[in-house]
Amino acid sequence: MISSDQLTGRVQAAIARVDDPEYPGISIVDLGLLEQLDVESNGAVTVGLIPTFSGCPALAMIRDDVHRAIAAVAGVTDVKVAWLPSPVWTVDRISAQTRETMAREFTVAVRIGTHAPACPRCGAPTEEHSMFGPSRCRSVNRCTSCAETVEVMRS
Amino acid sequence: MSATAPPTARQWNDMDAFEAFLNDGGIVEVDDQMPDQYRSAVFAFIEMHANSELMGGLTERDWIPRTPGLRHKMSVLAKTQDEIGHGHLLYMVAADMGVKTRIEMLEDLFAGRSRFHNVFHYQAVTWGDQVAIAFLVDAAALASQQAVFKNCSYGPYRRILKRIISEEGFHMRLGEDRMMRIAQGTDIQREIFQDALNRWFWPALQLFGPDSKPNDLLLRWHIKSERNEVLRNKWVQKFVPMLQSYGFSVPAPDLSFDQESNTWDVGPIDWEPLKRTLAQGGPDSARRISEAKDNWERTQWVRDAMERSAMQADTGVSA
Repeated sequence: MISSDQLTGRVQAAIARVDDPEYPGISIVDLGLLEQLDVESNGAVTVGLIPTFSGCPALAMIRDDVHRAIAAVAGVTDVKVAWLPSPVWTVDRISAQTRETMAREFTVAVRIGTHAPACPRCGAPTEEHSMFGPSRCRSVNRCTSCAETVEVMRS
Repeated sequence: MSATAPPTARQWNDMDAFEAFLNDGGIVEVDDQMPDQYRSAVFAFIEMHANSELMGGLTERDWIPRTPGLRHKMSVLAKTQDEIGHGHLLYMVAADMGVKTRIEMLEDLFAGRSRFHNVFHYQAVTWGDQVAIAFLVDAAALASQQAVFKNCSYGPYRRILKRIISEEGFHMRLGEDRMMRIAQGTDIQREIFQDALNRWFWPALQLFGPDSKPNDLLLRWHIKSERNEVLRNKWVQKFVPMLQSYGFSVPAPDLSFDQESNTWDVGPIDWEPLKRTLAQGGPDSARRISEAKDNWERTQWVRDAMERSAMQADTGVSA
């Protein structure tokens, strides 16, 4: 028999290993999608996630991935994963460390507030080139100094 | 910030010095004085990739209203936005090389003067075709792009590719999901998929191209990291047994399995269909190109409006 604290820890670790389908290596927890986690003493787990954008096409896939990851944890008897309508996701939910990884590994900047996001490559300000990029949560910007094409994640 | 400052423009005395730089793992940046042959070869490669993303995105878009069920409809919407977005990023990177402007590239595409992938010269007739494309063609495209990303010597392309292949990996999972659903469906659904498979197996396989030439400059200059036939063979070894395991037949009359090497051989490949697509003479080339051109003309008002809005913002005067 394991304690419910131990089980909670294992479930948390399992969820943290679920990557965003479009950012291999970046966890959905790092992106701030995990809002609610209840682990009961009988092993029943309820998870509430929030989407970056409500029409995001990866929702079913992420929910299935989270479900599978939790169901594989020893001691879990039941899993419920739901997408919550609130709170609304904002880029502030992305951890500082993750923002750095996104800049370094994917040349993706994160727009906080209304400031022009800095170029992940040289640090100079970027300018918006197109309001939308390959997904609705990203715009396409261009660096005003090194001319790098930069995708910007924004809420 | 994790920034690595971009290097200042570099130059090389001759092709030998440039190739030595590439062989050392050097990464070329947009401001570098790269040899003209390298510039034009890399540009042509990126231009074809950009064209293919745009043509692929337009095909996906055609399927939004015809896709069965909300789950698949969302995935088609997402793929449309992804492909158009990838095309947009790639046209920016290609235009920065200073060979052609973005408008020149689009005009060449719409006039049938430039190339895009063979698979977009065929018509997707049923939902089964969309499943076959997502399952077989996307996997082939992803394998080629991964092989480029692995060792790509042109920095701006390499960085864009990293994001593109992450998203194409997502498309492949969507393709697997579609295939699993149709494979577990009714007899009619399975028949629809088998018909589509008969249409798409060879074009998907031909996407890798004929065997690489010994002096392939793209391999020599570290744009491609793997020979076409090696990538094609890996795809065959993966998909032939997988399709068979789901009870579908592979439309290759000379298909054989070699026990000793444990490998599949699809038999001789007829390259004529590929050649025809490269000359815009595929079964659906003319319609696809004219659709893309019409789409560009129909959306002119958006670009005009954006330009007027930018002008107003600059001058404070309405045009």
